[in-house]
Amino acid sequence: MSLYERLGGEPAFQAAVDGFYRLMLTDARVSHFFDSVDMDGQIAKQKAFLTYVTGGPAEYTGKDMRSAHEHLLSKGLADEHVDVVIEHLGATLVGLGAKPDDVAEVASLANSVRNDILGR
Amino acid sequence: MSQSLDPAQAATLVFGDQRIDLLEGESVLEGLERAGVDAPAGCRAGTCCKCMQQADNPPPESQRQLRPTLRAQGFFLACQAYPKEPLYMASTEPPAPISARVVSVESLSSDVRRLRLRPAQQFTYRPGQYLDVLHSSAAVRSYSIASLPSDGLLELHVRRIEGGLVSGYLHELEVGADVSIRGAFGQCFHVADDPDKPLLLVGAGTGLAPLLGIARDALDQGHRGAIRLVHGGLQPDRLYLRDELAQLAETWPQLSIHPCVLRDAGASERQGALDQVAVQVAGSTLGETRAFLCGDSDLVRILQRSLFLAGMSSAEILADPFDAALSP
Ligand SMILES: Cc1cc2nc3c(=O)[nH]c(=O)nc-3n(C[C@H](O)[C@H](O)[C@H](O)COP(=O)(O)OP(=O)(O)OC[C@H]3O[C@@H](n4cnc5c(N)ncnc54)[C@H](O)[C@@H]3O)c2cc1C
Repeated sequence: MSLYERLGGEPAFQAAVDGFYRLMLTDARVSHFFDSVDMDGQIAKQKAFLTYVTGGPAEYTGKDMRSAHEHLLSKGLADEHVDVVIEHLGATLVGLGAKPDDVAEVASLANSVRNDILGR
Repeated sequence: MSQSLDPAQAATLVFGDQRIDLLEGESVLEGLERAGVDAPAGCRAGTCCKCMQQADNPPPESQRQLRPTLRAQGFFLACQAYPKEPLYMASTEPPAPISARVVSVESLSSDVRRLRLRPAQQFTYRPGQYLDVLHSSAAVRSYSIASLPSDGLLELHVRRIEGGLVSGYLHELEVGADVSIRGAFGQCFHVADDPDKPLLLVGAGTGLAPLLGIARDALDQGHRGAIRLVHGGLQPDRLYLRDELAQLAETWPQLSIHPCVLRDAGASERQGALDQVAVQVAGSTLGETRAFLCGDSDLVRILQRSLFLAGMSSAEILADPFDAALSP
């Protein structure tokens, strides 16, 4: 059973994605990347991301990751910002009842797309 | 159409006079793809919502992930839909223009005019949605509908924009003139899925038009929960229709009106940024509230963000920002 299913699947993630996005919008280290974006579109993308990194049903390719973040590179998107995302991802999953082992596993999966996010 | 269907082939997608029979255990998405239709798709598991389609009678389990307004319009996820009966797919053609006659015009403030139109043909809409006005120059502009279908007439509130092509035209129109319209569009309308849910309606300027439609529609459908309408403007004389709103609130105790200005507030207005006032007005009910946000697009985005950060669920924030039209 995937972590996604163990944590309650779609209904649990629907609620958790709001909390995840709120953490990002209120964190001064990353909030400026979200200034002018369409909130609904962002939330749908964040939900697909959370679903993907917990082994749930979501399609997320390296190409998607690259094109979704390309325009942020010129705004200074760098490793330290990916770290912040992984930090909030962990907090969100703990809030859903994930164990430390699970969080570490998700962090390593998220890290595996780091180069795509940063266009390397 | 339905009588010509073979009952053994009950799971069928019907598009006008065409049909696609579904195989045993096949989803609508799989059926569309097998028939060679270029249907959008993504996760195939009900998460990404890319495969959204529209029909008259979608299976309810294929609508679970969608907002109530989308469900009410028959949208569903094709990858999650296993119909047991013929599924009548929505036409993908945009609505055709129809003619409407100006029945009355009235000045509501120094720059806002109310027009009432009688459509020459059946015009289907939900209060709070908007219609397009087609100008003879080929310019198309959207205007929100403040009336209810039971009123018979379409009510618009049009603000005159300096140098504005279509708003200027609508301000010059006389009673008896004909206007070309098409519609209706938009996702900001009342869905009666919970009569006790608190509703928060926030808008500035002519953003009041859709909010008035939504408030009256909710009352008409028996809404019992609080309906809080926050109308913003730069200064008190920019707020319009105040007597009519006050009267409506007197008739319906669940409705309250909260006028809000940025400057020169009198005894009956709150002064402050509209988003902050909206959060205060929602108060401790914010977490369970559904919000309807209308007006200028920058303002709507600020409202959306502030209400979300204050704790409102993203799925309960409905908005149709008034984006300035791209030319023509
Ligand atoms: C979904 C939706 C619903 C809408 N509902 C309403 C409504 O109920 N009532 C209403 O009055 N309008 C409404 N609008 C706005 C309306 O569609 C037009 O954009 C507006 O009337 C201006 O059109 P125009 O042809 O008069 O001006 P244009 O000829 O398009 O513009 C003239 C000049 O004014 C500028 N301009 C355009 N809009 C504004 C503005 N709002 N403030 C300042 N400058 C501007 C333009 O950039 C341009 O320089 C809505 C828009 C949308 C997208």
